[in-house]
Amino acid sequence: MRTGKLWKRILLHRYLYLMLLPCITSFVIFSYIPMGGLMLAFKDYKFNKGILGSPWIGFDYFARFFNDYQSLNLITNTLIISGMKLFLYLPLPIILALMFNELRSRWFKNFAQSVSYLPHFLSWVVVVGLVQRVLAPDTGLLNEAVAHFGGDGSIYYLMEPDYFYQIMFGSHMWKSIGWDSIIYLAAISGVNPDMYEAAKMDGATKWKEIRHITLPSIMPTIMILFILSLGNILSAGFDQLYLLRTPGNMHLSDILDTYIIRVGLQGGQYGYATAVGFMQGLIGFILVVIANRVSRRLTDTSVW
Amino acid sequence: MGIGKQWARLLSVFLIFVLLLTACKTVNDPEAGNQSENGTGESEGKPATWIADRKIKGLVFMGTDDYTEDMNPEIKQKIKEMTGIEFEMEIMKAEHSIEGLVAGLAAGDLPDFIAFYLNNSGRPEMPVILKAAREGMFTDLTPLIKETQVYSKYLQDDYLPLDTKYGVMFRPEFGGSTYFIHMNIAREGGAINRKYVGGPYIRRDIADALEVDPRKIKTSEQLYELAKQVQEGGFKDNNGNNVYPIGPAYWGGKEVDVLYPDLWWGAVDQRIKPDKDGKWLHESQTEFPMKRIEFVQKLLKEKRIHPEFFTIDESRATEAALNGNSAIIADMHNYQEFNNDAHYLPIGPLDKADSPYQMQVDFKSGYSGWAIPSTTKNPEDIVKFADFMASREGKMLWQYGIEGRDYTLDDSGNPKAKQEVLDLKANDPNEAKKLGFAGVGNYFGELLGGTDIDRKADFGEMEYGDSVHPDAAAGANTIIEYWGWDEKRKDAKIVDGYPPLSFLGEFDKGTDLKTAFDNYDDSMIRAYYSKNLGEAQKILDSALKQLQAAGLDEYLLLLEQKNADEKTKLKY
Repeated sequence: MRTGKLWKRILLHRYLYLMLLPCITSFVIFSYIPMGGLMLAFKDYKFNKGILGSPWIGFDYFARFFNDYQSLNLITNTLIISGMKLFLYLPLPIILALMFNELRSRWFKNFAQSVSYLPHFLSWVVVVGLVQRVLAPDTGLLNEAVAHFGGDGSIYYLMEPDYFYQIMFGSHMWKSIGWDSIIYLAAISGVNPDMYEAAKMDGATKWKEIRHITLPSIMPTIMILFILSLGNILSAGFDQLYLLRTPGNMHLSDILDTYIIRVGLQGGQYGYATAVGFMQGLIGFILVVIANRVSRRLTDTSVW
Repeated sequence: MGIGKQWARLLSVFLIFVLLLTACKTVNDPEAGNQSENGTGESEGKPATWIADRKIKGLVFMGTDDYTEDMNPEIKQKIKEMTGIEFEMEIMKAEHSIEGLVAGLAAGDLPDFIAFYLNNSGRPEMPVILKAAREGMFTDLTPLIKETQVYSKYLQDDYLPLDTKYGVMFRPEFGGSTYFIHMNIAREGGAINRKYVGGPYIRRDIADALEVDPRKIKTSEQLYELAKQVQEGGFKDNNGNNVYPIGPAYWGGKEVDVLYPDLWWGAVDQRIKPDKDGKWLHESQTEFPMKRIEFVQKLLKEKRIHPEFFTIDESRATEAALNGNSAIIADMHNYQEFNNDAHYLPIGPLDKADSPYQMQVDFKSGYSGWAIPSTTKNPEDIVKFADFMASREGKMLWQYGIEGRDYTLDDSGNPKAKQEVLDLKANDPNEAKKLGFAGVGNYFGELLGGTDIDRKADFGEMEYGDSVHPDAAAGANTIIEYWGWDEKRKDAKIVDGYPPLSFLGEFDKGTDLKTAFDNYDDSMIRAYYSKNLGEAQKILDSALKQLQAAGLDEYLLLLEQKNADEKTKLKY
């Protein structure tokens, strides 16, 4: 009976479903079918036998990873870096969006927004190139400024582990904050203006408006984005860290993503690299499910 | 209905016509080219170099800096006329060539041959192609090279260097078969085709101003004193900025052993050799790392070396060399065009840690390799084609271009590059490259033909254009003479063997040990930049601990055993 109704509804909205078809097809082709490749995590891959023909080896790769002396360091580094990008960074685009929302000059608002979006369109190669030039010892902008004010001016920031997290976080923030604020800005613009009017009549200050109207209104958006980003907790951003890595900071910047590239692509160990990548995805998926449940229980907001 | 029948009839006639046409068609389209027309039996009216009327396509897992896919149409046509082969190649673009190789092999869809970097059996590509060979992806080439002119030399007892013979090609596990050809093998053992003078160079005007003979610098301590004098001299670069006494290598930041060979253990990329008692040691087990750290820290602290010496990108390093910002360039060589007026002079050479300097020459050494996938039909055609490319006639074509257009022949039959080609090369190298041969910078022929090398015997000159235009390498020759290359060559030690890291692939914990070696190399640089020697010692201790956990001691024992076997002797 239900199936009959479903088909009837599909038939009724057939043009809408037809429009949806390319999207579903592309998802199936590019996202679901390649998941079959995850089989490699349990196989001893042979060039001549392909994925299906290669022999099964069970959980050997997973055991090998956890027995590897590097694994603890890799997981720790990944969790620290992605944790910083997830938890420390989370409020920053929200704050920027709130600030943009309070700007009264339309021209300046558009200009400031455009300027903040631009870095998003630069590749990490360009951004890290800029970082290297700005932070270069002796000749870099920062060191020249330090020297101008009587400081040393010869610090090789990228080689000093003490500055690694600041550089990593700072460059990530510079590149992403503008773009990430867009979605919050869109959510803010959807808040009913009547609520602000009412608050004003009740004598609320700007700060109280933000705290009691804006933030609660965009909380579902914040929660959903937070839950989705939890899925990437074990992916700390390959491009940026691969490029920022120097012998000085390597003990902090070596993460699971760089390890996968090193052993998988450069070392030709597909199965092993797939196993580590699979583990990243699986842990991310479990965290998303848990966070979604917790969020549904506590805030009534959830992805599904 | 009637119209339908008429259409059906018309369609039938058309189909019959098409079938007839297909049946009458001669076998000469590219797909059918895989059906080889044998060069020896059916080549009536064809040149003696004829192989088959077919297409040969190669996939190259090497950088676009070294090779290009673009072939000159006239040269391509000439190859077709001489051999019947339509030659094509495609370069697999990847950030690291090995990534392309791994992905290409995994994809499995390979053309007639593949080419890849392969300096020696210790190169990272080796385990990858070895796995592919073991899994039956390549054709056995031993029976195919038996009948060739050039490649059959590979089967002679004393032709190949040890590593090429037993480490790369005729590995004992393959029982006489070989699945890849190692290229760039010199015809004569110990022969040198280019008189390279590598190592640190100093700006001549600075050496003159300081009244220093750079050739008398023999130790790192003397080099330090020289750097100190440079710094105190207040020399400027072309832009009026202060020079760095010691600048990075011309090609970018890296560790440079030739700057302090007396503080180094083993070859630059190996760091393993035996001590005086014959015990094999890794550098980390000697006193040299700490000595070097102390030395580099002193240079860094006193600003006598470029602060980004080990990590600077290539463009900035080259810029520093070109505008004279590096008073001493840590590493370059005499054939670099910017120094054709020899305004930088070589320093030293410096002595080694345990002996005075002695030139060391490889008996022979490889550079790249090629293989034929087992899916390729008539693989003998590819081998014959490679043999043609490696013959004098083939080499003349891909090294000198087309007779009349690019060169003329002298009385002894040697090619003389045309002046207009040399001029074009000097004035517009990119345009010259379009002529499509190695002399002007297009090395497509090297992939299959760059072996059995003896340029002097083949063409009467060491470098392209030397005999016509000896000034082209004037700077290089000045430096060769200044440095005393020929005298040093007379006393050179000729070595043949495996680099110590060649056996990582067969060592149980090879992957872990390779990671630990890489970590050690990086740790050294980290230690250079540490706050003091105590911190540096801690970094080194940690790296050594990792090396030992990854089986360093067992590996050194394995090396001892390998070195005891005549077939697997090591070089260091």
